[in-house]
Amino acid sequence: MSLCQNRLQEERKQWRRDHPFGFVAKPQRTAQGTLDLKRWECAVPGKKDTLWEGGVYKLDVIFPDEYPTKPPKCKFTPPLFHPNVYPSGTVCLSILNEEEAWRPAITIRQILLGIQDLLNDPNPESPAQADAYNLFKKDRPAYERRVRQVVKENPPM
Amino acid sequence: MEAHALVTQLYDPANQRNPTRINEIQTRLQQLQKGEHAWEIADSLLRETSTHHRFMGALTFTVKINVSGGEIGEPMTWQILERLVNHFITIVNEGEQAMVVRKLASSLVAVFRNSASSWKRAIWQLAASLAHGGYVAESDSQTVDFLNGVLPVLNTQKAIALVFFSVALAEEALRLEAEPQDLVGPVIERVVENIGDAFLLVQYIIRQIAYHASEAGSESMESTLGNEAMGSWKTWLSVYGNHRHSGDKQTQTLAISCGQDIIEALRLPTFNESAATVLTSALETRSWAFDSHSIFTMSQILSDSIVTKHLIAIADENEDADSMTFVDLLVAYVSHVNFDLFSDPMKPQNTQILAILHNIFKTPGYAAIDESATTRALEYWGEIAECLPDKLESTDSRYQIVKAQMAQVVLGMFNKLLYPSPSDLADWGDDERSEFNAFRHEACDYLLSAYPILGVELVSVFQESATTHLEKLDWRGFEAAMFCLAQLSEAVDENGHADQCLDSIFGSNAFAQLCLGGETGIPLKARQTLVDSFGKYESYFERHSFLLPSVLNILFESLSFESCAQPASRSILTLSKSCSRMLTTELPTFLDRLDQFRTKPTATVSTMPRVLEGIATIIQKLDSDQQKVQTLERILGFFVQEANKAREEAAGSAYDIARVHGHLVLSCIASLGRGLRSEGEDVINVDAAEEQNPYPPSFWNVGPGAPSQQLIMEAMRLLIVDFPVDSGIIDSACDILKAGYTESSGLFVFPPSLTVDFIKSFPLGISGTDVIMATASSFLASHGSHAMQIRDQAVELIIHVSQLFASMLDNPDIYDPETANAGIDFLARLLPKYYAILFSLTEPIPSAVGPVSQGTPTFALLLNFSLHALTRPEPLVLRSGTAFWIAMMDLRGGSSEETVALDQVLERFIPSLCETLVRQIAGRCARSDLTFLNDVLRRTIFKKMALARPSLTTALNALDAQVTDANGQQTPVLSAQDKSRFLESLVVARGAKSPSLEIVRSLWLKCRGMAFDYAQ
Repeated sequence: MSLCQNRLQEERKQWRRDHPFGFVAKPQRTAQGTLDLKRWECAVPGKKDTLWEGGVYKLDVIFPDEYPTKPPKCKFTPPLFHPNVYPSGTVCLSILNEEEAWRPAITIRQILLGIQDLLNDPNPESPAQADAYNLFKKDRPAYERRVRQVVKENPPM
Repeated sequence: MEAHALVTQLYDPANQRNPTRINEIQTRLQQLQKGEHAWEIADSLLRETSTHHRFMGALTFTVKINVSGGEIGEPMTWQILERLVNHFITIVNEGEQAMVVRKLASSLVAVFRNSASSWKRAIWQLAASLAHGGYVAESDSQTVDFLNGVLPVLNTQKAIALVFFSVALAEEALRLEAEPQDLVGPVIERVVENIGDAFLLVQYIIRQIAYHASEAGSESMESTLGNEAMGSWKTWLSVYGNHRHSGDKQTQTLAISCGQDIIEALRLPTFNESAATVLTSALETRSWAFDSHSIFTMSQILSDSIVTKHLIAIADENEDADSMTFVDLLVAYVSHVNFDLFSDPMKPQNTQILAILHNIFKTPGYAAIDESATTRALEYWGEIAECLPDKLESTDSRYQIVKAQMAQVVLGMFNKLLYPSPSDLADWGDDERSEFNAFRHEACDYLLSAYPILGVELVSVFQESATTHLEKLDWRGFEAAMFCLAQLSEAVDENGHADQCLDSIFGSNAFAQLCLGGETGIPLKARQTLVDSFGKYESYFERHSFLLPSVLNILFESLSFESCAQPASRSILTLSKSCSRMLTTELPTFLDRLDQFRTKPTATVSTMPRVLEGIATIIQKLDSDQQKVQTLERILGFFVQEANKAREEAAGSAYDIARVHGHLVLSCIASLGRGLRSEGEDVINVDAAEEQNPYPPSFWNVGPGAPSQQLIMEAMRLLIVDFPVDSGIIDSACDILKAGYTESSGLFVFPPSLTVDFIKSFPLGISGTDVIMATASSFLASHGSHAMQIRDQAVELIIHVSQLFASMLDNPDIYDPETANAGIDFLARLLPKYYAILFSLTEPIPSAVGPVSQGTPTFALLLNFSLHALTRPEPLVLRSGTAFWIAMMDLRGGSSEETVALDQVLERFIPSLCETLVRQIAGRCARSDLTFLNDVLRRTIFKKMALARPSLTTALNALDAQVTDANGQQTPVLSAQDKSRFLESLVVARGAKSPSLEIVRSLWLKCRGMAFDYAQ
């Protein structure tokens, strides 16, 4: 079995054993019902006492063959209104960038917790979508109204 | 004396409520602990009889060793060690409290880790000293056999103290693993030499306590000793795990042997909880610490011992939370043995273990809330279900055994999935509700993993359960069964494998009765689950369209309930979309239901647009436009009324209410547009070459459909013109406009002037400019095949952008990054199809009267602004600027005249572009901008080499930044050689992305200084 598959199986095991409250991370199923370890369906809850609280945001985590040497790609489905999420839904976060802070030791748990932190603490230095970035910079009340709407549209399971 | 007094005062009850005084004492004590007399102070404090003074004495040793570590040579470390060991022996002999003994053990470890220390077999030496009653030198200690000579001499007190030290040493080694190995590697190597002694100590103690088990009470010193020894095994396993190598069989055998003794300790009531805890941890992380004998013994103990009794009792009300320790052990064990648990024939102990595992589902209380055993057991079954297809052939007899067990799990866990009764739920907070919901989803994850193995029979279990519970009006049971069926839809909806089985529930009389609505008595939770499940079986209902009217009936009814409105609206949309053609006859009924719904408080921006989109998809399938228009007029008339109401609210200064109202109206109209969108047929081809009329007369603009279109335009006018600006309203208005861009005719294909007037109506600086300009781009893209037919509108839009840019160029104070970014992005997108129109705007815009814009041709003003964008600090502005210039470089003239015109523009702008790029790359831009600027630079060089090369040379030569060298002389940051090498390298790279970026990054680093290099 490849390094990638081995590591993903271990990640799956660790996640089953212990994962942060309210988070979801599981490999997708193929049409035959078997698991595709290289594509995970995940969900990140908004942190307590933040604007994002009350919502659960779904994302796909796609692992390349070179994982864990290379980082996975995290993509909100549907794309999320957030300054650091590209219009395609892809998350722009330093720990997910091979040329920045990605390290093979980073776990799925750490990635998802990092994304949860990012929700309420966007990085204005790395805007990924104009829509959310501009409102965030220019019209905070309107930004917050939109986020509240996003929360409503993403109720917990 | 001062230190003694300070310690006395520190613990004096009179000072405990005086934080200022406590702080003063601590500050002074810390000074003394780091001072030149610290060794004497530590000695003296340890000679006291009070626990507090002794504790502080031990702490002083540690602080001083850590502070003065660098000044201590090897001879001194031996001296300190001797003093400490003697103190250690004294306080142990005097029966001092554990906290002081532990503190002094950590002082000994501080000596061990000192770089000047050469102490190696520390456990052996300390044991020998404890046995001797005074310090024994390391070389002397090893003259007596550790296991048979030293350890038997230690009494319980001394053995506990020795284990304290052993654990402290192992924990220190684990901490050091995270530090730079060139510094701490030698210390870790010395720790590793103690692994064998540490395991021997564990083994000796566990065997002794097992021998004397009947004498050990739960609070006795022997109990402490046993528990500490087991914990020590776990910690040393971690140390050994980090340094284990295949040649070292002896230590591994010893580690395994210790584990076997701990497994045996599971039979001892005083020790079995601690044993279970450490064994669980070791099974999960150090599987190599168990051999087949270990596993066999554990299976026997789990299936028939005091542990078994605890596990079976978990289903009793009386069993306390401590039993979870044994459940954890059970799950760790079965996960470890994995498929070896199953054999043909089954081993008796494994049969018993499986029975215990199934019994866990009978644990009283709600899973994940009152008990965690069910969740743990499901973890194992989930793993088995996921791996079975890869591990065993379906023809293997073991496969059938596992399959039968998995089916038993399904039946066993059903009661655990029952949603709490309202009275139980009332006591739960949000966290409990989320926890329980998460558990139900995890349980269903098991079902999905089990489906490939159990097949349709699995669906039948829940169908039968749902049917039975529905007939008995047992709503909790019905809800749980429907919940499971809904989750299983992922496996069976599209392929239709379970259709026959689903017919039995969805085709039953009881279900038909339920769908009729009215006083069915169905509680909200069951209704919510039911309406959610309909949306998940869209393909099934598509194949069983005769069921749809009644299903949609209950869905519409459910829109009135707050907790059901969201899933109901989602399911209405899903089913309407997939079954639209079959639902056209139901439209009148749905419209009546819509009329009832739209006045309800649940009709919000989260629910109503979905319902309308669903209805619109059905309208779209009506045979004639005439039929469509009647229905649409009825809906749109209502929204114009609502738009008027919103306007009245705004006029009454109720701005927030007006905004929400207005947003709801426009988002509903936009969703109508989405629903009415054609599927494939009549969609315009934006790349088609033929010239088209941008707004051909049609049923919808000059025929009977025109009043409907007018109603939409009226609603938009009411909510845009002189209405409070709101980004949600702008979004929805743009969605309305865009709804028709991909169609050649239809209700949402508006006159081009509507889009142009809408875009021009917004002033500089409002939020939402990016959405507005993206709409302008989509508008032009939709007319790309007949650009010249839409020339006037394109010019109007370009001029509008020019005016916004001119204002910002002339008044830098009002520079709005959003407008800049959105405007440049608009220009970049229009370039491929509309560049000829853009470059034909050679006259200045009349309104440009400022110092920068006045007299500048419109196209030049736009290009200047885009050039300036490359120097902006705002990332998005810079990025859209680079996208614009990339689009410029990619342009190819469609005719020789166009090519000439294009070349003239490039000749005029490439020198400025090169100058800007070089200045930015030479250290001015942010590092993250380099990738984008490089993309422009490499394309410019590759595609316009002749123009670019001299311009780049000039730009590079103009760089004159200087730096002070080591001799204090001013020298240029970049030499002439650096500059020419940079340019030549770029030319050689021939526009390739990575090599160019490397070259650009090197120049940036040279100009910025190497401190900015991530690799440094």
